[in-house]
Amino acid sequence: MDTLRTISVSEFLQLVNETLRLIPSQEFVVEGEISDFRIAQDKWISFDLKDENGEAVLKCFMTTWQLRAQIEDGMRVQVRGTPKVYERYGQFKMNVQEVEPVGEGALKRAYELLKKKLEQEGLFDVSRKRSLPRFPKRIGLITSRDAAAYGDFLQILNNRWGGVFVLHMNVHVQGKEAVSDILGAFSYFNELSETERPDVLVLTRGGGGLEDLHAFNDESVARAVFGSKIPVVCGVGHERDESLCDFVADVRASTPSNAAERVVPNREEVRYEIEMMCQHTEERLLDQLSQKSLIVERATNVIGRIISQQNERLKHLRQRFFDVTHVWAPALFDQIDGFEKILRQLDPKRVLARGYGIVTSNGQVLKDVATLEIGASVGVQLAKGSFESYVTKKENN
Amino acid sequence: MEYNWQKAHLNLMSQKKKTIDFASSFEELEKITQWFDSEENVDVEVGLKKFERGLELASELKKKLSEVENKVEEIKKKFT
Repeated sequence: MDTLRTISVSEFLQLVNETLRLIPSQEFVVEGEISDFRIAQDKWISFDLKDENGEAVLKCFMTTWQLRAQIEDGMRVQVRGTPKVYERYGQFKMNVQEVEPVGEGALKRAYELLKKKLEQEGLFDVSRKRSLPRFPKRIGLITSRDAAAYGDFLQILNNRWGGVFVLHMNVHVQGKEAVSDILGAFSYFNELSETERPDVLVLTRGGGGLEDLHAFNDESVARAVFGSKIPVVCGVGHERDESLCDFVADVRASTPSNAAERVVPNREEVRYEIEMMCQHTEERLLDQLSQKSLIVERATNVIGRIISQQNERLKHLRQRFFDVTHVWAPALFDQIDGFEKILRQLDPKRVLARGYGIVTSNGQVLKDVATLEIGASVGVQLAKGSFESYVTKKENN
Repeated sequence: MEYNWQKAHLNLMSQKKKTIDFASSFEELEKITQWFDSEENVDVEVGLKKFERGLELASELKKKLSEVENKVEEIKKKFT
């Protein structure tokens, strides 16, 4: 042993780790089943990756920030990472950079787990869903130009509505670049100034399996939809397809075409609505006008009726007056004749004509000599003419 | 009651050139319609003015509706 070099444990492990780094571990993924999955202090994740027969075990280590998919025991996954011996514990572990569920079953399970988590966090809450402007002027379209969804969306948009400015962000909707493309589109639109910012964002693609839709089920994309200042319409694939973005979006459209239908109104319906409003206001106005003229008409009627009533009454009174005249008029005329005779006899002029005179003193007819004094002047009125005389003598008898 | 349709029409013509905002014009028309419904006794003078404005808006809106074109602009930006 003397001829051999002596090194420390840590030096040896360093050597081992250097050797392990020679393994081209970025060129392959290790596939196995997860067991003993643990999270410590919300940060450190450890699990065992096993072959199906359970005879080979690979200890794995990663952080929660690296974990993009929800995983659990029994799930089949593919792991990419670098092997390392941890000096402190002398343990061989795989330092995991990426873990992805494989197979429809595992993907489905991971999807369900993430869905549950986001739901519990309140990302799907109906109360936070915003309503879309009825007449958007600017629409931000996030989809692939090569996808059928792009053509479908624009076709329905043009059929329904006009005068809209569509800002299209060409992104991958599947494959490795999809997630970063879509995240970039969201931050681009959200960072635009308020005048440039679209009124609504449309994230859409055609249908597909869980693997095709991975970007639409990605946690970071779902959070980008959640965090968008601009309301989001998400439309994925066929009616049946669902994605996590669908649940987070303010409006969930069933297809790309349906997304267009949800975003803009139908030209003909709006035209009809405008016509109905005009018609309605016109009717209301005419209604009011005729109500007002009805009031005037009614007032005129009432006044007319009162006047004609008064007229009738007057006519009636006159008629009654004339109707009874023949009963009492002759008697009245006879009476009047009698009165006239008496009056004529009483006329002082007739008395004067018979030779009498009227004596006045100071304008008063004289009836008693007692009021007279000797020498006073009195007026005497005869039937014809008058004269003035003085009192020379008076007798009381 | 006589209503000056010709004057209303002239008003329309004079405002023809202004570009209108569809959403706000539509909202104004809706408000006018609501006004006619909420008012128990419509003041005929005010009513006529509002009605005239409503016709004006409707005509502008219908003109806007006949716009067929939607513009699409592709944003040149790479994220990866």
